[in-house]
Amino acid sequence: MSFEMWAEKYRPKTLDEMVNQKEIVERLKSFVKAKNVPHCIFAGPPGTGKTTAALCLARDLYGEAYREHIMELNASDERGIDVVRETVKTFARVRSIGEVPFKIMILDEADNMTADAQQALRRTMERYTETCRFILCANYSGKIIEPIQSRCAPFRFTYLPREEHDKYLRYIAENEGVKLLDEGLDAIYEVCGGDLRRAINTLQAAASLGKPVDAKIVYSIAGRANPADVQKMIETAMKGDFLEARKQLREMIQKYGVAGSDIIRQIHTEIFRAEIPEPWKIKLADIVGEIDYRLVEGADEEVQLSALLARLVEAAYEIKSARKG
Amino acid sequence: MYQPWTVKYKPKTLKEIVGNREAIEKFVNWVKSWEKSPPAKRAAFLYGPPGVGKTVTVEALANDFKMELVEKNASDYRTEEAVKRFAGLASQYGSLFGTRRIILFDELDGLTGTADKGGVKAITDIIKTAQCPIVLIANNAFDPRFAVLRNYCLLIEFKKPSATEVLKRLKAICLKEGIAAEENALKFIAQRSEGDIRSAVTDLQALAQGKKRLTYDDVSWLGYRDRQETIFTVLRMILYGKTCEGAKRAVNMADVDVDMLFEWIYENVPAHLTDPHDLARAMDALSMADVYRGRIRSTQDWSFVRYVIDFMTAGVAMARVNTKTSGWTPFQFPKRIQALSRSKEERAMQLEIGHKIKRRCHISATRASKEVLPYLRIIFKNNVEVASGIAKWLDLSPEMIEYIAENKEKAEAIKQAAGLKPS
Repeated sequence: MSFEMWAEKYRPKTLDEMVNQKEIVERLKSFVKAKNVPHCIFAGPPGTGKTTAALCLARDLYGEAYREHIMELNASDERGIDVVRETVKTFARVRSIGEVPFKIMILDEADNMTADAQQALRRTMERYTETCRFILCANYSGKIIEPIQSRCAPFRFTYLPREEHDKYLRYIAENEGVKLLDEGLDAIYEVCGGDLRRAINTLQAAASLGKPVDAKIVYSIAGRANPADVQKMIETAMKGDFLEARKQLREMIQKYGVAGSDIIRQIHTEIFRAEIPEPWKIKLADIVGEIDYRLVEGADEEVQLSALLARLVEAAYEIKSARKG
Repeated sequence: MYQPWTVKYKPKTLKEIVGNREAIEKFVNWVKSWEKSPPAKRAAFLYGPPGVGKTVTVEALANDFKMELVEKNASDYRTEEAVKRFAGLASQYGSLFGTRRIILFDELDGLTGTADKGGVKAITDIIKTAQCPIVLIANNAFDPRFAVLRNYCLLIEFKKPSATEVLKRLKAICLKEGIAAEENALKFIAQRSEGDIRSAVTDLQALAQGKKRLTYDDVSWLGYRDRQETIFTVLRMILYGKTCEGAKRAVNMADVDVDMLFEWIYENVPAHLTDPHDLARAMDALSMADVYRGRIRSTQDWSFVRYVIDFMTAGVAMARVNTKTSGWTPFQFPKRIQALSRSKEERAMQLEIGHKIKRRCHISATRASKEVLPYLRIIFKNNVEVASGIAKWLDLSPEMIEYIAENKEKAEAIKQAAGLKPS
């Protein structure tokens, strides 16, 4: 077994190595051939190869020394307008020396940029098109402002098909000398839903136990690696234990730094999956929406979400009494 | 084994005593004056507020001067007979083995009225003919009961040491206990003690024992301890209030600010409003109070605070419809405050590790700390070899390894395998 993160070790280096997103890869290859790249938006769920595609494109275009011609910026870490004004501009305006007359700026997780920063980015993109091309990677292209979208070629990344997913994980397992059972592979796909980075991380963590990777190991790892156990918290509240549910909420927010907006989105999904009378689902959706709005207004996450938990406790109590009566 | 730090760090020598240099010097000179012959005043009366080091001074002096200390406290000399029983001790300067002797009557305030009649007089009689130094200790030397006794004593006043002096002592203790304490935190404890070193050291132990670090956040809530009675009354007025007016009035009584009062209510609502409907109503009121806090922040218009107060007091009071008021439920200190300061550090560490991952893995530090770190935890727990390899690959610091491994021995093994010297 090797001593690095496998998700990195097995990241494709060139466009030829990319196993999925065939159509996208073909188009990117044509950019390389023409030695011209437009501004791009790579949109799609996590772990589908957006960053990888951008890096492969750069390597194919510039060769091994590609690092000198690109810059990677993570909007989640540096989402403010100042970064666009300073860092991006400084990089974008200096002309590249070499065969390809422009540089590439990879803006990862661009949907996390503030609207102001995006406006600033729009002007920068326009002004320095000659010297710099932008590739914006995002989970939701809807969070990118229209004027930027209209300047970019859109690429929609989708989850890996099952057989590509299986082939890739089997290849890694074999290479690393790990025994990956079929049921383990099924479990990984079920838990990670085609997010290849998560799948590989799960495989590596499972392999660290030094045993054949079966379904049981995969599930236990997925459980431990996923702190935002919203489903469990809802169950606790529906059982009527408000204090315990609030404790779980506090742990999620404070210890693991899970964002309130993520938690409420998951609560919203879970409510429609829950085993409660149909009319209640829409009643609860109303409450969730109201709390969501209060959160957006900038209120305290724990206070707001625990108010929501109290409403869940109440709802469960009413449903129960209605069934009895 | 549990040992009070007031005992563990009790000064053994005069040099270690905090403050009161003048008083100590006066006392030392008086004891030295016994070398030739008994001085005019054969007793020294040390007085001053509790916890400033009176008894400790006598004990340290006996230690420094290699004298035999005969210590008596209130229960030993309540009556004339009881005192006379050890009068003999006072008649000789030296003991059987040649060491000089010093007699201490501590806690003289403990003598009360008629029951201890004669005790003070007996002590006075002993002093008159004493052949060895006698020391009396009380908080108040000017109690009328000591009027006659005072004439035979050298009065030495012990004052409260300054906050700076207390701070120095606390620092020294932290150093010995291996606690990295924020200056602010220790200052807070020192100031709060108002010169009572004993209580300062007790507080320090309660807050810091077993910890490696002590931050201001860890101690700041102490300030509320003294006011607990008031806050309990205030909470009762809100959580069990019958009228809006009454619940709202509680705010004026509270000597904590609105945000802190909010935390107290937020912590205690669930235990005191157990009916699901009441609880939902009360939590919604708090949610609305919080919304108005947000509006104050965004508009900077503080007049909105009246709505914050309406919801968090009257709103919560009116939520009680079904929950019975019978039974007694204790109030809890807001846990969220303490948890928050702890997790602040933890999140900073997670982000630092996130940045290490980012350098290698083309993923933002924020996401790495959420999506990659959990897997690292599992690997670090299960496989020292792989963990050490990854630790090297990511260039993790020893502290980071300790944090991820969540286990000291594991962390040491990983550090060793990674070629990082155990720190």
